[in-house]
Amino acid sequence: MARKVSTRRKAIMTAIAWVIAFLIFFPILWTIILSFKSEGDAIKSPLQVLTSHWSFESYFVVQERSDYFRHFWNSVVISLGSTLIALVIAIPAAWAMAFVPGKRTKDVLMWMLSTKMMPAVGVLVPIYLMFRDWGLLDTRIGLVAVLCLMNLPIVIWMLYTYFKEIPNDILEAARMDGATLSSEILYVLTPMAVPGIASTLLLNVILAWNEAFWTLNLTAAKAAPLTAFIAAYSSPEGLFYAKLSAASTLAIAPILILGWFSQKQLVRGLTFGAVK
Amino acid sequence: MARSPISQFSPARWLERRLPVIVVSPLFALSLFFVYGFIAWTAYISFTPSGVMPVYDFQGLAQYERLWATPRWYVAIKNLFIFSSLFIAISMAIGILLAILLDQRVRAEGLIRTVYLYPMALSFIVTGTVWKWMLNPGLGLQRLMREAGFENFTFDWLVNSHYAIYTLVIAAVWQSSGYAMALFLAGLRSVDDEILKAAAVDGSSPWKTYTSIVLPILRPVFLSTVIILAHLAIKSFDLVVALTGGGPGYATDMPATFMYAFAFQRSELGVAAASATMMLMTIIAIIVPYLYSELRKTA
Repeated sequence: MARKVSTRRKAIMTAIAWVIAFLIFFPILWTIILSFKSEGDAIKSPLQVLTSHWSFESYFVVQERSDYFRHFWNSVVISLGSTLIALVIAIPAAWAMAFVPGKRTKDVLMWMLSTKMMPAVGVLVPIYLMFRDWGLLDTRIGLVAVLCLMNLPIVIWMLYTYFKEIPNDILEAARMDGATLSSEILYVLTPMAVPGIASTLLLNVILAWNEAFWTLNLTAAKAAPLTAFIAAYSSPEGLFYAKLSAASTLAIAPILILGWFSQKQLVRGLTFGAVK
Repeated sequence: MARSPISQFSPARWLERRLPVIVVSPLFALSLFFVYGFIAWTAYISFTPSGVMPVYDFQGLAQYERLWATPRWYVAIKNLFIFSSLFIAISMAIGILLAILLDQRVRAEGLIRTVYLYPMALSFIVTGTVWKWMLNPGLGLQRLMREAGFENFTFDWLVNSHYAIYTLVIAAVWQSSGYAMALFLAGLRSVDDEILKAAAVDGSSPWKTYTSIVLPILRPVFLSTVIILAHLAIKSFDLVVALTGGGPGYATDMPATFMYAFAFQRSELGVAAASATMMLMTIIAIIVPYLYSELRKTA
């Protein structure tokens, strides 16, 4: 029934699906539209907004007032830095667990993954105090370290599920042909693991990019990424909507583009590999 | 590696066999220390008279007594209960309907699925900001409806302390129902076509096929979706901060924002630690048995 449907019914269903897609996308679309309006026009009635003058003014103001590019650069450094370090640490571990599973491998994974489920507020105070004592508050290094640690379990888990899919027979064939451990890793496994590693990278960059709990609580001005940038615009009540929209658009644009290429990875990572 | 028989001792072989333990152990220790070690610290602080700064004299359950005597804590718990039950129920209902819709072989399914999933790829901070505009009585929906001719249309939940909590539900549902859809769609796709054909041959109506055959098969998907959404709900902090800031007053406080306010704004570290410990125990009670059974099954 579900799979075999008549052409007419299919057309109706497609239409409904598109209407819903539009409704879901509308808040994002509206934000993008508002970002091209002046403050005066942005608070006009929604119908007038569409016909009013379009301009890039808000973007210039946002850049001038709060230095978008510095926040953008902080976001790039923090999300890429934490993800790359996590990958370097996690690849050997995931590798070992996928190819040389021991009796305790599942328990080890379970414990690591369970840390990701814990609410971050439970560890906020000790980490905050430690950061203060070590002078890491409002530094990019501090944030890279925290996000790296917090995302490590997901990185390991994702890599593990990808590595698990590499058939063992290939390894045995390589070993039969006399491949050493190092050449086995370099020439046989690595090429097969690259897609999994790339997906993991993509997902975790997005997660770290969106991360707001730690970035809001551990930064003030210097190391603040885009999430803090938006939060700063969103707090004062008033006629800020065009600028707030410009700031939001700038912050989500990279994600909309990355997300386009990584929707499968997104689901897979967020479900801890339950959906492939 | 592990399965190949080892006839004689060689350092390389030994290293190869021990390598997993060597690379995994430090990571394991590190992640456990930074999460469970610090959680243990927080739990200990909840038994001390800590105020602005942590002190380490054990004093028993006094902070818990104070916590449970704080009206604001009851508001936070009540909100968490309202928010999570509505958020989970509505996200799942919408998620499964969207999944069934997309399972009708619609055109350009990949494109539509991506759009449904987009909200999930955004930061809660962005979601909060966007919905703040949509729900603002003077700017968003209410104004649109009034200008469209419905002069008495009122939608001021965002600034109404009785209803503000539901605005969080709206924003969170918007963000997560596409994600629930993806989970259910994957489940639907794994249902064997043969079963559906057999049901159709037996004269089962589509509605009956879904309710009495497909949904029961999807039971494990329901369970994992509930768990994942529940843990998102309990952790919700950024959305509250961005959308309502816990207000009006503390009408939309949640345990996470409660903890934050008491630790950093009101210098009541002990009470904050006690509330964090309560949250942790709730999460552990839900998550650990689930994770354990999942891993037994799949990994």
